[in-house]
Amino acid sequence: MSPTPIKPPAAPNDVLRGTLDLLILKALSLESMHGWAISQRLEQLSRDVLRVGQGSLYPALQRLEEKGWVDSAWRATDQNRRAKYYELTRAGRRALGVEAESWQRYVSMVDVILRTT
Amino acid sequence: MEPLRWMKRWQKRLRSLVRTSAVDRELDEELAFHLEMETRKHLRAGMTPQEASREAKLAFGALGQHRGDTRDARWLAWFPDLSMDFKLGGRMLVKYPGLTLVGGLAMAFGIWAGAVTFEMVTMLQNPRLGLPESDRIVQLRNYDVQERRAESRSLHDFLRWRESLRSVSDLGAYRDIERNLEVRGGDGRPVQVAEISASAFLLAPTKPLLGRTLSAADERAGAPPVAVVGYEIWRSRFASDSAVVGRSVQIGGVYATVVGVMPEGFAFPVSHELWMPLRVDGLDRSPRVGPAISMFARLAPGATLEEAQTELALIGRRTAAELPQSHQNLQPQLLQYAKPFDAPSGDLLMALAIPGFAVMLLVLVCGNVALLLFARAATRENELIVRSALGASRARIVVQLFAEALVLGGIAAAIGLAAADFGLRRWGGPFLKENMGTLPFWYQPQVSAATVLYAIGLTLLAAVVAGVLPALKVTSGMGARLRQTAAGAGGLKFGGVWTAVIITQVAFTTAFPALVFLEQRMMVRVQTFEAGFPTEQYLAAFLEPGDAPAEGAYVSADVAREKEGLLFQTDLEAVRRRVLAHPAVMGVAFIDRLPREGHRESLVELDEAQGLSAAVPATAGDGSEVIPKAPLNEVQTAYVDASYLDLVRAPALAGRLLLPGDLAPESRVVVVDQGFVDQVLLGRNAVGRRVRFAHRGDGAGSMSDNTRPWYQIVGVVKELGMGAPTQRGRAAGVYMPVVPGVKGPTNMMLHVRGDPLTIIPDVRAAANAVNPTLRLPSIQRVDQVTSGVMWVLKLWMRMTVLLTAIALLLSLAGIYAVLSFTVSRRTREIGIRVALGANARRVVVSLFKRPLTQVGIGVAVGGAMAGAFLVWIMSCQDGTCTDSGLVTPVRVAVLVLYLLLVLGVCLLACIVPTRRALAVEPLVALRAE
Repeated sequence: MSPTPIKPPAAPNDVLRGTLDLLILKALSLESMHGWAISQRLEQLSRDVLRVGQGSLYPALQRLEEKGWVDSAWRATDQNRRAKYYELTRAGRRALGVEAESWQRYVSMVDVILRTT
Repeated sequence: MEPLRWMKRWQKRLRSLVRTSAVDRELDEELAFHLEMETRKHLRAGMTPQEASREAKLAFGALGQHRGDTRDARWLAWFPDLSMDFKLGGRMLVKYPGLTLVGGLAMAFGIWAGAVTFEMVTMLQNPRLGLPESDRIVQLRNYDVQERRAESRSLHDFLRWRESLRSVSDLGAYRDIERNLEVRGGDGRPVQVAEISASAFLLAPTKPLLGRTLSAADERAGAPPVAVVGYEIWRSRFASDSAVVGRSVQIGGVYATVVGVMPEGFAFPVSHELWMPLRVDGLDRSPRVGPAISMFARLAPGATLEEAQTELALIGRRTAAELPQSHQNLQPQLLQYAKPFDAPSGDLLMALAIPGFAVMLLVLVCGNVALLLFARAATRENELIVRSALGASRARIVVQLFAEALVLGGIAAAIGLAAADFGLRRWGGPFLKENMGTLPFWYQPQVSAATVLYAIGLTLLAAVVAGVLPALKVTSGMGARLRQTAAGAGGLKFGGVWTAVIITQVAFTTAFPALVFLEQRMMVRVQTFEAGFPTEQYLAAFLEPGDAPAEGAYVSADVAREKEGLLFQTDLEAVRRRVLAHPAVMGVAFIDRLPREGHRESLVELDEAQGLSAAVPATAGDGSEVIPKAPLNEVQTAYVDASYLDLVRAPALAGRLLLPGDLAPESRVVVVDQGFVDQVLLGRNAVGRRVRFAHRGDGAGSMSDNTRPWYQIVGVVKELGMGAPTQRGRAAGVYMPVVPGVKGPTNMMLHVRGDPLTIIPDVRAAANAVNPTLRLPSIQRVDQVTSGVMWVLKLWMRMTVLLTAIALLLSLAGIYAVLSFTVSRRTREIGIRVALGANARRVVVSLFKRPLTQVGIGVAVGGAMAGAFLVWIMSCQDGTCTDSGLVTPVRVAVLVLYLLLVLGVCLLACIVPTRRALAVEPLVALRAE
């Protein structure tokens, strides 16, 4: 049986539950950035397929900061505008590796199931 | 995590807690920045500013919602809302006054009980001296390891230690003596005097109210005699005379000049009220000779307790090597002041057990408050479900209910602590004094800071039990219940735990009266325990030996005691002669312990050769073991002089009374009382029988020791208050003639014409004239012997009644709450049943079934507990049922009436909710929920 094509999510906030944290960690793994930039980076990386709503983004950032995976600080942007920048901590980098591996395992398991039925 | 980051994280967390508005402003700024960036993106895409702004806002969604969601993700995000919870908690207290009153009273009671026990235990375990650097003040003593007793004749060692000890400073000593203080224009009354080293006033530095304290110059031989008086003496004996300094007073046999007055509360070294210099120059300084002294010192700067102990032990070993005859068994000891040298080993257990009991009591009490709060929370179930549906987490709801319970607990703690402080100040001191004899100055029962902290802990525990447990129960499976409620099914139910709480409470409420019965019975026994003679006509003075003259050389403790005894005997005879010369005194006699004070217990053995063994059961109480020896019984022995029985006008029922000739050691005769005849001899003739006495144990003087002498019974008298009124059963009394003073301190009993209390000053004066060092710690009318016991019993009685009343109130409130809850849950069912014509009685029965079962089980369990308790109290020992009078038809009737009352009041608690249910209109019922 050929794999069933998955339709790209049409509405915003459709990021699969539980994966937002992983995606934010991934986005921040390259450089520190503010919340809006994170949402733009995720849209860009997913080729506009994924849209992260602010209703999920900021609580998720708050959660990650609480876990000690990201750290934040107020800095000036290129346009000299004050913004809150987030960066990955060492613990966050370790967590990214673990979460990414776990996600890969999950995806491959789902894939196996879908292929065999 | 690296420490820096960890600190930063905690700093942020705390900031989010305490600076919520600043953190909120930052969040707003961050969200506004996001919106602005989104708008700019649209502008770059070619939109007009209006379009860009609109598009950005649309994409952004509800700002308020995002703000709320982000805030909720913060650490302890609910914490800032706590103040609102507390406000709500306060409103709830006003809205439900019945619950506030009952629950608050219960919690206050639990906290009161916990605070009082904690304060008493910590005060006794870790006494606080209230002096500067009190943990560095120590006491020293010699201990005879062979005789296993403290050796207080330590003047020799005191002087040596004062010279050589480096790890302590200000080493001082005192002699504890009672002296008559004669003030011009007043009678001579005894005061507790400390002949003390002046260094005491360095250890306990207190500015005198008037004049000065003692100085080292006062200790020198030949210095004029001086005295410092305590505040209470200054107030009562010198009428607060501000010119008292310089006055001359007679203290015992010495005239001394008052040089100072100490302020109120100063009682160093123990509970003293007058201080005179200790002059060692005039005293015998030979090893283990001289007066009994106690020693105190301060640890030298930098020295630890262990170092001081080591140094003292070293000196002790050195002295033992030098003076083996007197010191080879002496072990010097050093300990923190006010700590008992001979603390019983069970202290730690006691220290844990009593507060543990208080915590258990609090948990039990709060279990009931939890029941009430649960019932109330259940009536608010809809409100809680709505909150839950609106997104409040379970933790959030639990915190809200905890805050409500904490508000109630906080008020209860304030009331409980205030009551504890009042009770401790008012009754704590007298209670300790009653039990300890004297009350050292470091025992000042009142609520301390540590107790307040403990009470705060108890309050939190109470709030957890009373608030969190019901909250967890209410909130468990809330989602499922939301669906059920929507479908019309019942929601919360009272589970087994609540049933158990109610049953336990009813059981205790039912069982408490057994305790009240017992206490009441004890009080009645104390009040009615007849001494067999008009005790109000007799005065009793307790006499203790005075100071023995100094020995020339070391003598063993036994020899010293014997000499002291001989002197005491001479003194007593002299006092007797003087007192007898008083016109109001009709007679004087001596007895070791007063009637109704409890006498020495010993085992009695009858002479088998006289054929009495067959008259006494040959088996033990349980019938299991055959007693091979002569029959035994426990008897009370009073050591009296020959005139005692004459003094109390007790006629000989058989044989004769005691005669002066019986005092001779070889005469070996005794008189027994009717209790002895009835219980030991089973009514047989006593006169002429031979008996001998033994104590329990295996050594000399025990039953196995066959060298014990035989005594002949020469007479029988009626029962004259042998044994203590609190003691179970009837005593079997033996009067053994001894020379007064041979058995140590003794009571001098005087038969007085008129009010015996009026001659107290004369008795003191007589004793003082014979030997100023003779001590008379108590003089009382013989009928006042039991007043101390009565005071304690009354205190217990009041506490038990209070406890019972609170338990009853709580049970009723609990039952009422449960039933109200049940009825409100079943309103619809009841309405429909009534509408369909159901018999009101059947409805009532179905409603009553559960509470009735609970109350029934509770009453049965409580009744069984009370019964078991009473049976235990009445248990027969050695073939005699000691307390058979406890269960009388009247008492049984009272108990049954009480049980019916409990049952009735419980049913009364059911009436209001039931009436409410039966009055429900069917249409209203159908609309319910």
